[in-house]
Amino acid sequence: MSPQITTFPNEKPEHPVTLLSMGGLMTGNFWSMFCGGCGYGIIFQLFDKVFVEEKLDPFKYPVIIGIGCYTQGNTLVPAASQRVTTLHGRAPAMATGIKLANPAMKPIILTGDGDCLGIGGNHFIHLCRRNLDSVVLLFNNSIYGMTGGQVAPTTPQGSSTMTTLGAVFENRLDGVKLALAAGATYVARTTVAHPRTFMHYLKKAIKHAGTSVIEVVTPCVTYFGRKNVNDASQRMDTGGLLLEWIKAHAVWNNQAKLLSEAELADKYVIGEFREEDRPEYSAEYEKVKKKAMEG
Amino acid sequence: MENESKRYMAPGKHVLMGNVAMAEGAMAAGLTFFGGYPITPSTEVPEHLVWRLPEAGGAFIQMEDELAAINSVAGASVAGAKAMTATSGPGTSLMAETISMAAAMEIPLVICDVQRNGPGTGLVTAPHHNDVFQCKYSGNGEYEVIAYAPMSCQELYDLTIEAFNAAETYRCPTYVLSDAYLGHLHEPVVIPTAEEVKKLVVARAILDKPNQEKFTFLDREGNIQIPPAPVLGTPNFPTTFISQPHGPDGIPVNEDQVLKPNTLLVEKITKNVEKIARTEAYMLDDAEVVIIAYGLTARVCYHVVNLARKEGLKAGLFRLVTIWPFPYERVKSVVAGAKAIVVPEMNLGLMAGEVERCKPLAMPMYKVPKIADIHEPGEILAVVRKAKEAHP
Ligand SMILES: Cc1ncc(C[n+]2csc(CCOP(=O)(O)OP(=O)(O)O)c2C)c(N)n1
Ligand code: SF4
Repeated sequence: MSPQITTFPNEKPEHPVTLLSMGGLMTGNFWSMFCGGCGYGIIFQLFDKVFVEEKLDPFKYPVIIGIGCYTQGNTLVPAASQRVTTLHGRAPAMATGIKLANPAMKPIILTGDGDCLGIGGNHFIHLCRRNLDSVVLLFNNSIYGMTGGQVAPTTPQGSSTMTTLGAVFENRLDGVKLALAAGATYVARTTVAHPRTFMHYLKKAIKHAGTSVIEVVTPCVTYFGRKNVNDASQRMDTGGLLLEWIKAHAVWNNQAKLLSEAELADKYVIGEFREEDRPEYSAEYEKVKKKAMEG
Repeated sequence: MENESKRYMAPGKHVLMGNVAMAEGAMAAGLTFFGGYPITPSTEVPEHLVWRLPEAGGAFIQMEDELAAINSVAGASVAGAKAMTATSGPGTSLMAETISMAAAMEIPLVICDVQRNGPGTGLVTAPHHNDVFQCKYSGNGEYEVIAYAPMSCQELYDLTIEAFNAAETYRCPTYVLSDAYLGHLHEPVVIPTAEEVKKLVVARAILDKPNQEKFTFLDREGNIQIPPAPVLGTPNFPTTFISQPHGPDGIPVNEDQVLKPNTLLVEKITKNVEKIARTEAYMLDDAEVVIIAYGLTARVCYHVVNLARKEGLKAGLFRLVTIWPFPYERVKSVVAGAKAIVVPEMNLGLMAGEVERCKPLAMPMYKVPKIADIHEPGEILAVVRKAKEAHP
């Protein structure tokens, strides 16, 4: 975060898009604090690309960030964008206040599985229920990365974590199903191994009026990969191995229909799950306001 | 989208419930966002604002819990709204983390705390000034808040306007501490004309270019100076807006640099205590027994002083209109010439601890605790008599 961080003068920006990032502008160098092999770097690069390609007005699309490893993406989002870092889990609530205070805005909420489905679950449910015009990017790395690999609500059964003795036996929470049940009107899931799909979904979400939820399955090499093995009993301690695992466990929703519940237990069903127009909270509230002002 | 024609109440005398007077004070102060969660005894505040805010062009929302309520308020304030919530003790506890965040990010916001009995669920319709410490000390970290303690419906109106002004000026969480009795009292309130009200209000400064000294507290001479709050969606917004200790540019600092920003966060209030603190003195000039009180209790104490004077007892009242920041210097000078101090409080004696820090060691101090009800004047008078007898 701080400009004092060691810089590597010969390091080249990985992608022209990162030239936009504030971290780069601040230090004259382009770095991220993510571990090697982490999926967040990919996500932020794609996010920047969409932000630029869609010519989003930074004043209209504030980026509201929860607390987790992705908070460090603060320096990687386009430098001109306006970002507010909130408390752990509270981004949807803060975004609600922002949207109602300035209905011209459309908050983009960056949150994690722990942030959004654990501590902030209630705010997430009610954001979806209200169908408040906003985009939620839910980064699912199946673990609490920031705090060092503790079990998350999304950790698959049978995994090993720092705070479970033996294999995880708790049921895992499906962010997509929760968003659907709560009433979000655009719901999709993809993985960092599907970058074009992610960009496609994000562009759609930005244009969609209502709550859009995109869950992105992303590798946490350091705390999920290192502690778990793939089907070949290999420890997944590199980005490549974990990405392969994610790909192997991602099933498109049309194929998922053919699989049994037991087969789906350790899978991530990807695709679009809902896209429909329903009354949006702030637009409805504007009507209430108009009537009250005239009456 | 402001609709000024409906923002202000008709001028003149109205009979208002305390909670409604507080809500109207907020409207007069320019409230544009309310986010809340129902809790006895504060519910009349949202029930009034639900229709008052939209007709004036503001927004009202009932959130899913108090955590959400205060975060929506913080979000709205960041987006340029004058924002508040209303709650009671258990809600204030839930808000602690965000209040600490608002202090760190210097987000102006107002919390109306209609206090009720505790701990736990307590007796929900009974008053108890038990949030006087919670409001300042509940959140993590070292920071300061401003807290007003009104004692009448008129003051609920007037001081709520002041609270909004203080929140804007000092960019910190600001409380209006009411209670279950005061909130439900019905009293005449004199509403000023819209023109008079507008003169009182400190508006949010919306700058059309980046403020070079965005987060700076110090001017070139080293005086504490608080720039206007940055507004999301305008050019005056820092590159990062984060609840970490930050330097003047808003960029987070390291462990070895954190002392200064954290100190300034506290000093911007403590060094301005003479400007912020509001107190009232009643018959103090020759007083031998000094009563120190705040909130509804202070109202009883005016009567107690009159009764004592009739008996020839030289009693006087020092009333704290704001309880935080605590005016240590003023209290020191008030008690300096006294023979005894009496501190009646609607709790077991919380602020008495602060008074104790101001008095000479040998000076006797009598607490008059009361919970879940208001003091009878006789209860306090008896202690005044006792104090005078023991220390003639
Ligand atoms: C109130 C509160 N409790 C706990 C924490 C500690 N904490 C910080 S990040 C985090 C987990 C984040 O998990 P997730 O959102 O999944 O993000 P990840 O780090 O895995 O990307 C926790 C528990 C905190 N910051 N605040
Ligand atoms: S701990 Fe995991 S999620 Fe966090 S940066 Fe490292 S790999 Fe990424």
